[in-house]
Amino acid sequence: MMVELLLIVAFGGSLLTYVLGKLSSRLRNGFALLNALALVIMIGMLYGQEFERSLPFGFLGIQFSIRMNMLSWFFAATILGIGLLAVLYSFRYMKGKERLDYYYFTLLFINASMLGTVVAGDLLSFFIFWEMMSWSTYLLISLRGGGKAIFAGIKYIIMSLVGSLAMLVAIVSLYTAFGTVDIGELAVHMQSASLGLALLVVILFSITFVIINALWPFHTWLPDAHAEAVSPFSAILSAVLVRKGLYGLFLLMYVILGFSFLDRLAVGAISFSNVLAWIGAITIVFAAFRALLQNDSKRILAWSTVGQGGYMVLGVSVATSMGMAGGTFHILNHCIYIALLFFVAGAIEHRTGGIRDLDSLGGLIKKMPVAFVGGLVGIFGLIGLPLTNGFVSKWLIYKSLILEGRPFLAFAAFLGTWGTILYGYKFIHNIFLGQLPDELRDVKRVPFTMAVPIMVLVVLVFLFGVLPGIPLSVVNQVGTYMGFEPLDLNVWGIPSESGTLNVVNLLAAIAVAGFLVWLLFKTLGRSTRVDQSDNYAAGAAIPRGRYGFTREFYAPLYRIVSPYVKDFPDALFLWIADRTKALGGMTRKIYSGYVGSYVMYIVLFLAALVFVQLTWSPW
Amino acid sequence: MRIVWLFLSPLIALVAGVLLLGLSRKIMARIHWRYGPPLLQPVIDIIRLFSQRSASHGILFDLGIVVSLAGSLIITLFLPFGNIAPLSGSGGMLVILYMMLIGPLGIALSGGESGNPNASIGISRNLMLAIGYEVPLLMVLLAVMTRYGTISIVEIVRVQQASTWSIASWPLVVSGLAYLLVMPAMLGFRPFEVVQAPQEISSGPMVEYGGSYLALVSIQHALSLYITISLFVNLMLGGSGNIVIFLFKMLVVFVLFLFVNAVFPRFRIEQAVRYLWRWPTLIGLIGLVLVALVGR
Amino acid sequence: MDRNQLIKWLEAPAKMGHKYSLHAVYFCTGCGIIEVPPSITARWDAERFGVLPTASPRQANLFLITGYVSVKTLKAIIRTYEQMPEPKYTVGFGSCPINGGMYWDSYNTIKHLDKYIPIDGWIAGCMPRPEAIFVAVTHLWTLIDKDMADGYKRYRKYYSQYRANQEKVLLGLEWPPLFPIEAG
Ligand code: SF4
Repeated sequence: MMVELLLIVAFGGSLLTYVLGKLSSRLRNGFALLNALALVIMIGMLYGQEFERSLPFGFLGIQFSIRMNMLSWFFAATILGIGLLAVLYSFRYMKGKERLDYYYFTLLFINASMLGTVVAGDLLSFFIFWEMMSWSTYLLISLRGGGKAIFAGIKYIIMSLVGSLAMLVAIVSLYTAFGTVDIGELAVHMQSASLGLALLVVILFSITFVIINALWPFHTWLPDAHAEAVSPFSAILSAVLVRKGLYGLFLLMYVILGFSFLDRLAVGAISFSNVLAWIGAITIVFAAFRALLQNDSKRILAWSTVGQGGYMVLGVSVATSMGMAGGTFHILNHCIYIALLFFVAGAIEHRTGGIRDLDSLGGLIKKMPVAFVGGLVGIFGLIGLPLTNGFVSKWLIYKSLILEGRPFLAFAAFLGTWGTILYGYKFIHNIFLGQLPDELRDVKRVPFTMAVPIMVLVVLVFLFGVLPGIPLSVVNQVGTYMGFEPLDLNVWGIPSESGTLNVVNLLAAIAVAGFLVWLLFKTLGRSTRVDQSDNYAAGAAIPRGRYGFTREFYAPLYRIVSPYVKDFPDALFLWIADRTKALGGMTRKIYSGYVGSYVMYIVLFLAALVFVQLTWSPW
Repeated sequence: MRIVWLFLSPLIALVAGVLLLGLSRKIMARIHWRYGPPLLQPVIDIIRLFSQRSASHGILFDLGIVVSLAGSLIITLFLPFGNIAPLSGSGGMLVILYMMLIGPLGIALSGGESGNPNASIGISRNLMLAIGYEVPLLMVLLAVMTRYGTISIVEIVRVQQASTWSIASWPLVVSGLAYLLVMPAMLGFRPFEVVQAPQEISSGPMVEYGGSYLALVSIQHALSLYITISLFVNLMLGGSGNIVIFLFKMLVVFVLFLFVNAVFPRFRIEQAVRYLWRWPTLIGLIGLVLVALVGR
Repeated sequence: MDRNQLIKWLEAPAKMGHKYSLHAVYFCTGCGIIEVPPSITARWDAERFGVLPTASPRQANLFLITGYVSVKTLKAIIRTYEQMPEPKYTVGFGSCPINGGMYWDSYNTIKHLDKYIPIDGWIAGCMPRPEAIFVAVTHLWTLIDKDMADGYKRYRKYYSQYRANQEKVLLGLEWPPLFPIEAG
């Protein structure tokens, strides 16, 4: 009963939050937090259980069913964990804004529907939950109102609708072929399916999942959506919502189809996983260079989300147990540090009065130390420096690519990481380092309820980086569920003979060397702390107000790469949208509204009929 | 024994690096027809710097330097040094690649905290130059790793010891050529000396460093010279089973690039990146394709 | 290096470091700077004395005031001097910094530089040849040896006077005092 209860609590909680909000805002906040907390506890109790059960009701004669296994559990845990932190973070962030009842309701509702997609046991209920998720996301993206927010929302919902339609067609064709949409049964039936049907289904489903996962060339909705969404929701969007695409791919590739079938879906070197891998590789490189060109803190993070999705797909499509573990672990890691980074960006936005432009910030390390630590650790995780969680998953992905003999894919992955360093440093530098401008002199610290989620995630980044064995054992179980060999593990890393990773050595070495150097520095060096105004400026006193190098941080590189990394897919989609609108305009010209012209159409039509009849006499 | 080497190999790297620095000043002077400073001039400078009282700009300003030097010290444990590699069993090339980031990143954070635009410009150039040379370098490294089918650098050295140096073996010679072309950029030698550029941006990231800060940065610089050359020797020139021969190989490589350094003027950063993304990348790509075709 | 040098190194490494690693700020005040390029390049090679030009005052410990000091330049000189880490040495190079030289009656030239910053030694001449720089450097070595190059200590000790003089001639400074100024 646990899973049903989970869904009831999730959906009921969101509705109740809305109702309570009408009574008192404190009550609403408290209840939202309690609800999120209860969900986390419940999912914790479900750890390790595996079952599938049909519900007593259905739709169109199809029995609904739910399932719980390690794959579902893994995704559900990330959803609910990030959900809890986002609710906590929202209290201060959203304070004083309008339509709060609506906001909390939608936030919790999205969480509930995402939870629904991962516990759905048949494709129909999966589809229904998926639609709920899409529509409520649309509502939350456009929450702020105004032309841009509406535009971003529309952009998202159109792409999402295309995806949903593709999925619906796939589900219907599966249903007509096998008469069932239950995932477990489909997995059995699919083994005897014809290749044509399988190809159709795979392509249709892939479109859906690639769109929601924001992979190239369907990434275009994500940057706009992030630029408009509120920060706590951005965290959810980037950390867990787009990763529903990967859940779908897992479901499709390894649960429904299975390895042996996937291998059959190949024409020479072009196989499904190869195509997917190359999409991932292109996504990584393209997103890294696009992120370099951005000047808005949240847009940078949005592009990094796009790029990191590429790593996961790379790991998943290699389809060795190491690559799979890397890809799956990267989902968890990415969800931790990207949520952290969005929380930090949101805190900056909150305290500076809505500044997100990286050219007008600077020097905030002195004013917001917590945000700085969060940002730094998040960027380190994003880059994947040793001792952060990103390192372990990226290590697994690189290693599986190299050992599988796919140097070009590995090259794309590496190059993406180096791009990440560039934009990650820009993010840190332009916000926190350099001179503090005059207008930011009295910025306050991060408020407590916003600092707590940030600190929790900081700890997690290091915890999973230093003790990768703990999360990897869960990841291993996910892999085993999908039919992969479990990796050989210990708490500190991977002691297998094909290449070991031992984080404890790294930790010890870094700690000892750091300590020794620090000792040297402290015993031999003497220094006095000086103010930021005491700075070398060729003998002049530094100018007051703004003094720093932030604008066009990588200008020479922009000039080199910008002709090559134009966002062609975005331009293409916008062009299509434009044409469609023009087509609509043309149709409207035909329906001019004058009775006279309608009469003329009818007369012309009749004349044509008469003409045809007289000339060829077909009737 | 392993414990001893854990502490000894960073020390040897430190000494070797500082000597290389001193040697470079001496050799440069002789190429310029000057007498040049004594060989130990870098040591004298470092002693002087440590005895000076300097200005600090904040906690990150201090920590960045410390982390950067510590990171550089640790890489020497992963790189085989002759027949010794105390920590080589902890992740191989991938860990080395990532650890090599810590040095520049530490300095970048600390330099950024100094709040000087010159420092920021220098760092931005440094990162751009890094992505410039990483593109061909990664191709070379992937070619080597794919060719030998391993990510362990000890393994790579062992295979070379058993057969021939990578740079003398068939498909890898192309990659070796690309590696040679990017080495000056990795060492920060002219024509790629855009990062410090004392004449235009007042030594870039180091503009606010004085006293012990500058001393640590000098040590880090010496170490990074050591690391870069040692990586090249290990990957391309077959490493060595013997410490003396290993150091000799390093010396030869270093002097070779010093000659390039002595006679060239400087690129602009844009020209540097364009160059790096043109010729070395092309050659590196050919090398990688060849390796992918020839296989193991 | 002879043997008593070695003993000196062991006795006072810091002092020897200061002696043999004099990094000069590359700061051009007057026409005297024209003698610096030949002295640091192949012809005279200052590097064999351990003298190197540096780009930023933070890295330097030697300040050569190479020529006449106008009131405007004085401000930059003070700023640069204050940013150099201690211990630091200043040498006035040419007649102009000493007493105004050929600008002795100019309204806009500082005649007594050591009223504004402490000077450890002077090189006379208009302009002195590069050899004179090396004579000065070796002379500075003996001064450091005998602890007589103590300009930076004087600056600390009499800072309030120096600051008062500076503010008087420059009509106020844009930066706060380097050291606390004792009242009266
Ligand atoms: S001393 Fe002579 S050379 Fe030097 S600044 Fe004065 S006038 Fe010029």
